[in-house]
Amino acid sequence: MTTAAPAVGRGRPLEGRIGWLERTLGGITGNIEQAIFTEHHARSDGWLQRRDPRAKMIGLLAAILAASLTTSVAGLALLYAGTLAAARASRVPFAFFVKRVWLGIPFFAGVVVLPAIFFVPGPRIFDLALGPAHLAPSWNGLAGALIFVSRVGVSVSLAVLLVVTTPWADVLKSLRALKVPQVFVLVLSMTYRYIFLFLHTANGILLARKSRVVGRTSGGEQRRWITGTMGNLMSRAFKMSNDVYAAMLSRGFAGEIRTYATYRLRTSDVAALAGVAVVAAAAVLVGRLLP
Amino acid sequence: MHIPDGYLAPAVSLALAVPTIPIWAVATQRVKKVLNNRTVPLLAIFSALSFTIMMFNIPVPGGTTAHGVGGTLIAVVLGPWAAAVAVSTALILQALFFGDGGILAIFANCLNMGIILPFVGYATYRVLAAGSPVLSTRRAVAAGIGAYAGITVSALAVGIELGIEPVLFSQNGHALYSPYGLSEAIPAMLAAHVFGASIVEGLITGLGVSYLQRRHPEYLTSLRGIFAPDAAIDGTAARRPLWQVVTAAAAGSAAVLAVVGLVEGGGNPNRMFGADWSRVDWPSVATMLLVTAVIGLVLVPAAYLVLPASLKRIGAAFTAIAVIAPIGLIAPGFAYGEGSAENVKAAFGYVPSGLQDLSGIFSAPLSGYSVPLPFFSHASAPLWHAAVGYEISGILGVLLVGGAVYGLARALRRNGAEEVAPEGVGA
Repeated sequence: MTTAAPAVGRGRPLEGRIGWLERTLGGITGNIEQAIFTEHHARSDGWLQRRDPRAKMIGLLAAILAASLTTSVAGLALLYAGTLAAARASRVPFAFFVKRVWLGIPFFAGVVVLPAIFFVPGPRIFDLALGPAHLAPSWNGLAGALIFVSRVGVSVSLAVLLVVTTPWADVLKSLRALKVPQVFVLVLSMTYRYIFLFLHTANGILLARKSRVVGRTSGGEQRRWITGTMGNLMSRAFKMSNDVYAAMLSRGFAGEIRTYATYRLRTSDVAALAGVAVVAAAAVLVGRLLP
Repeated sequence: MHIPDGYLAPAVSLALAVPTIPIWAVATQRVKKVLNNRTVPLLAIFSALSFTIMMFNIPVPGGTTAHGVGGTLIAVVLGPWAAAVAVSTALILQALFFGDGGILAIFANCLNMGIILPFVGYATYRVLAAGSPVLSTRRAVAAGIGAYAGITVSALAVGIELGIEPVLFSQNGHALYSPYGLSEAIPAMLAAHVFGASIVEGLITGLGVSYLQRRHPEYLTSLRGIFAPDAAIDGTAARRPLWQVVTAAAAGSAAVLAVVGLVEGGGNPNRMFGADWSRVDWPSVATMLLVTAVIGLVLVPAAYLVLPASLKRIGAAFTAIAVIAPIGLIAPGFAYGEGSAENVKAAFGYVPSGLQDLSGIFSAPLSGYSVPLPFFSHASAPLWHAAVGYEISGILGVLLVGGAVYGLARALRRNGAEEVAPEGVGA
């Protein structure tokens, strides 16, 4: 499984030997840390944080779509400049924002695209003979790689910006505004809440094992244990869903979901949305007009 | 397998919503019908479970770890429709909140891992487990094989989605999105899964179902009545001894191979797989097999004893593969594995363009996987000389690659301890 985008706010590298247990523990801790980090920044007082969540969601979707549609590096550069300005105005830690994205991208997209530079036919930049092999990158391959890597980088930056400036509750409500069915939004919001319960439970189970096991155990034993843990979590999931349903019933749940928050679009939101639309359209058109 | 934004053209990303959204709608309706108001808490909690399962690192032989998806495990318990909603919800959360997988690519990722995976996995499981009692070993094995098939087909779908990009969207001769064509993207995705991630997914699903059979059989029986009433067959465990299973599997594969070989050879047993077997010098093959067996009897236990504990099993397995490799020399025509570009072209009808560019690199120094000494490669040397040459180059190859990977892992570990597996095999 490739984990494609660089995660936000990962935990520090663990010291010494890293085993399967420590990796899972590290991953769980990283996710919880990231959620706390995100909520912290989503609640600070910045430009994007003050925007109406619906306008923000639509604007960022338009920008990501533009990043996908544009055919030129110039268009992507324009979008990235806009993204950086928005991040600056929203008090997202700048070094974090740039480093997280661009240190991760060479790993995830660069390694993937590297061989293509040499295989794409066309005029060669240079031809280095290494015995029987030829090291000859082509201009076409390089151009393709450049636009691919920058497109992935800009798209990931935009997604990270949305994530760190919007509290989860607002993401959900704006999904509702985008006509996503209510059942889905409710399932998403409850899932989000129970993820942390499950992560907490799994963390406890794994830590309990780590602190009790001395020495090495066989791979087969480890696999049996971890699948047993999954089965155990599944049985807890059943019990929990029954309890939660009983709790919902006793509080008057009858199949209908009501939400209370209503948002109002302000002039500044409309202006921001229009600005994003202009930048996005410009980014797409730059590719059409300039070669 | 999470596709990030930028890999797929927006037209493809959005076109994949056309199958995905109606399937979600049907899935929600189906689940609602059996569960009524219980739907929301059950689906939410199983989505959270799916998210947690995707976090688990499974220890893989050789010291690395891999992630599972768990879609088939959920499908076996809750049925494929509920599994589709649960895995899709987990994937949407990962994209919107944790930055795993792109936002425009949500439909693609949900189609691959959230829909194709549980449905293919569940269908395979149903076919293989048909008629067996709920607590039988066959059901657990069927779930494991189903999970293997499900994630492999899902990887194939990713390969196709990525592979059509350069065909559809290029400008001035360079690709705008994922640069690899179908002939590169599909083999790359399949190879990475068939020999790795799919095995892990199969293992956790099979072991997970057998855990449920032992500890919580009620989830495999009473719930079946709600989600898939026609699939429920109660009963107790009917354990088949392992030797029977192994013998049946071996006999089955031999029969399949024989049939395929006969079909390819046009019904003539002397021309199985289209090769001319009458040209084979059987006495010298027997000598070669004898020599190979002796070498194997010495080398494999030696490797097991010499290697450090963490590498014992995997090292001995690689040694065994290197020792039995010369069996391919028996086959007249081209030996498998050593195929040069021409041989591959003859066999498959086309040459992957990357292979053609790279083929120069592998020609030296043990050309054709044999040692360039007259004892091994002289035209009139007996077959077993060539076999020993094969083995020497095979074992040297294993040592070289292993040494290189180990060295690289050591070097990387010094830089960033997080990225590298402990036992010397890269993550």
